[in-house]
Amino acid sequence: MSIFAQFFDHISTLYLPGAVALWCSLFFALAGLWGYSSALAGDAKSLAFGRRAYRLYALSILLTSAVLFLLLVMRDFRIEYVFQYSGLDLPFHYQFAAFWAGQKGSFLIWLLWGSLIGLPLIKTCGRKHEPAVMGIYLLTLLGLLLILVRQNPFVMLNEAPLDGKGLNPLLQDDWMVIHPPIMFVGYALTSVPFAFALSALWRRDFSDWARRAFPWALAGFLVLGTAILMGGYWAYKTLGWGGYWGWDPVENASVIPWLLGTAMIHGLHMERSKGRYRRANLVLACLGYLSVLYGTFLTRSGVLADFSVHSFVDLGISGLLLLLMGSFIAASIFLLATRLRFVPTGANEDPILSRGSFMVMATIVILLSAIVITVGTSAPILTRFMENPGQVGPTFYNQVNFPLAVFLCALLAAVPFLTWKGNEPREILRKLVPAAVFGLITTVAGVLLSVSNPFHLVFLFLAATALASNFQATVRKWRVGGSKLAGGYLSHVGVGIMLIGFLASSAYDESTKVTLEQGVAKQVEDLEMTFTRFIPRNGREKESMEVKVVRADGSSFFTYPKLFVNDRTRQLMANPDIRSFMTADLYISPIEYDPGAPASNVLTAELQRGGSQSVQEGEIRFLDFDLGAGGNATVQMESGGIVTIGAVLEYTTEAGSQKIMPLYRFNAAGQAQSVPRPLPGGGQVAVTGIDAQTGAVRLAFADIGYEEPGSTPTLAIDVTTKPLIQMVWWGLYIVMAGAAMATWNRLKQARILDDLETQGTIEA
Amino acid sequence: MKINKLPLLGGVLLLAFAGFTLASFKETITPYVAYDQARTLKRTVQVAGGLQPNSSDYDNERQALLFTLTEAETKETLRVRYEGVKPANFEEAISIVAIGRFDEGEGLLVAEKLLVKCPSKYMGTEMEEKVYG
Repeated sequence: MSIFAQFFDHISTLYLPGAVALWCSLFFALAGLWGYSSALAGDAKSLAFGRRAYRLYALSILLTSAVLFLLLVMRDFRIEYVFQYSGLDLPFHYQFAAFWAGQKGSFLIWLLWGSLIGLPLIKTCGRKHEPAVMGIYLLTLLGLLLILVRQNPFVMLNEAPLDGKGLNPLLQDDWMVIHPPIMFVGYALTSVPFAFALSALWRRDFSDWARRAFPWALAGFLVLGTAILMGGYWAYKTLGWGGYWGWDPVENASVIPWLLGTAMIHGLHMERSKGRYRRANLVLACLGYLSVLYGTFLTRSGVLADFSVHSFVDLGISGLLLLLMGSFIAASIFLLATRLRFVPTGANEDPILSRGSFMVMATIVILLSAIVITVGTSAPILTRFMENPGQVGPTFYNQVNFPLAVFLCALLAAVPFLTWKGNEPREILRKLVPAAVFGLITTVAGVLLSVSNPFHLVFLFLAATALASNFQATVRKWRVGGSKLAGGYLSHVGVGIMLIGFLASSAYDESTKVTLEQGVAKQVEDLEMTFTRFIPRNGREKESMEVKVVRADGSSFFTYPKLFVNDRTRQLMANPDIRSFMTADLYISPIEYDPGAPASNVLTAELQRGGSQSVQEGEIRFLDFDLGAGGNATVQMESGGIVTIGAVLEYTTEAGSQKIMPLYRFNAAGQAQSVPRPLPGGGQVAVTGIDAQTGAVRLAFADIGYEEPGSTPTLAIDVTTKPLIQMVWWGLYIVMAGAAMATWNRLKQARILDDLETQGTIEA
Repeated sequence: MKINKLPLLGGVLLLAFAGFTLASFKETITPYVAYDQARTLKRTVQVAGGLQPNSSDYDNERQALLFTLTEAETKETLRVRYEGVKPANFEEAISIVAIGRFDEGEGLLVAEKLLVKCPSKYMGTEMEEKVYG
């Protein structure tokens, strides 16, 4: 086959409106790259061309996404992607979730956000930076675009199925509609500081990249953090395994760039205020984006699937991903190695007890955390060539991050009272007294609440002290400058709260498994629990179990954990029900439901010809079928009429024997009816089924004095109390609120500086 | 004291942390092993295998799932106990990975975590996996 024939063959399997839009975007991306690189080479006129090409490129990606979305909404099952992830019964708003349910769609949404982010970036990256920044930024997008061209989402099936396979029920959740796209905004944002850093290195111009990249870095931190928070919340509320964070590779892939982003925003803050960290920031900006690429490689290429640890299957893009990652790593290393020495830096003369030194140490701690998480996540690769390759679980991550968290808390506690110039230890200790008193009270409270591990108590003391000292600083700064200055400290307050929440909810949760009989109250720790009823399915509301809980103080409430079989997949799904209280969450997860059986006075038996069953004082023997009981059965069967078959039974007692013949009627449609016959000793016998193959008959004897006791329905549940878990969420909200305030402030600052620059007031 | 005069202390701390990380890594890593190794190694390991037909049993009293894994090639078997919710379509699993530690007293592997691979009905060519525990 000629290459053209192959090409047309390929095209004929694609949905053209979408595929053409995708190819257009590739064309415009290359054109934009050409324009920007010519501009970089000195041809000033090319800049406008590059810019226009970029806008057309972004438009094409928008169109590509719109086409895929419309196909999903129209439920066009000819398209393989739509067939795989959508279905007729999928409600409208879950079509969004279907968009990013698969590999291809999630790459597309990432690319879409990245492309849209590029539009304001053109305006704000500064004229002299634009060619390099936008060129590099386009290169990062081009990588994703190549994956999509390779893994075209518009592949069509040979025929149009009537219905799609439907969306994974776990993804049919409101959180899943918003969590992944926000995560991808966060990922897309990491390539902005990366582009700025590489451009600065390339052009050896380190003057103002930090200022311009700062709001983007903050926004990335904010968005990624929000997405991680949502993911944790979704896992906690929906998945029912009892936690919010499992140190799963997918989760780690999002938290590593977030930690690196945290280190970077502190570094950028230092560079902006003190002209320090100039080299470190360039490295951190590179690491942030490279870690996103590495995470994508780990979770999408199938390197971990080999290990059968997680559900990532190689879809034929590992080579491409490896190539992309390799080239970006090589380019970063090359530029850092050759250009870093041109970065002007001053000698570090900070005393150890100064804000500058503490920030350096805190940054190192955060960086170390990112490194150990990377090491843990890479365990299957690192041990690949050993005798028994393996992986590490939550224990590893908790163990190694614990000392880092303790150290971080100590640094955080002192930071608000330190100055750039340096302080006397006595002065800092004196200023820390009120916060330390709060820390001490918290620790004593912890001891009273049976925290006995000395490491945990030290951690609790430092975290509470850090919380208090940063709270003091937030109030102080707020009084001086309102939201402009307080953002950073407010975030630190959130970190303190969050860390205490981590410790309490993970190390001090208590879990009990208990089987409840319907209607029977059972004491579970200090709660009285009763399984009151089973609530059948009602529309989209799944089957749930009503459990009444009476607390020690006499107050009571109902919980509704769900346990149901998904129609489409036949999978058993368990949704916990969670009640939040001031001090703890009550987490009730269903394990197993046994519907029980009603009491019965019917005895059933299946008899072969000649088989017998004792009934009352006698014995019933099945002799044979009577096919002539209602006209010739064979004739009736052939003509499609009603067939009547009798079962000839012999009832034998000491008094003698007698024949009984209950009848069984059925038609071709499979409808059946049985005609019972009275038994001599009272009660009745009926035929409830016939097995023509084995020649067996199923009999039911009623009212013969037989009693089968029923069993009550039972529900097995897992009851867990998670102390202070609310602090995890609230802590994160506060971190995010602080970061939002700082982002806003830095955006305003950047805009003011931009205005001054255009007016020619300051040198750029 | 200036911070640039402290590289020694910093270096020692960093080295100590690196050593701690390495020790923790070695201690917590759960290697993939064969069944006979799982029986002798006194640590948490992972084993993989198919579910022996009709070998699974949910013990309501102890809230535990008991089943037998069969090694595809050697036909060796290993009894496993897992305390938790019985995984969805467990019976149809084509491969199960159990992470846990062998209990010599009971003669079975006590699994903390199960990973169930099922032939997926709605993911097309992609295999579907689920983690439990």
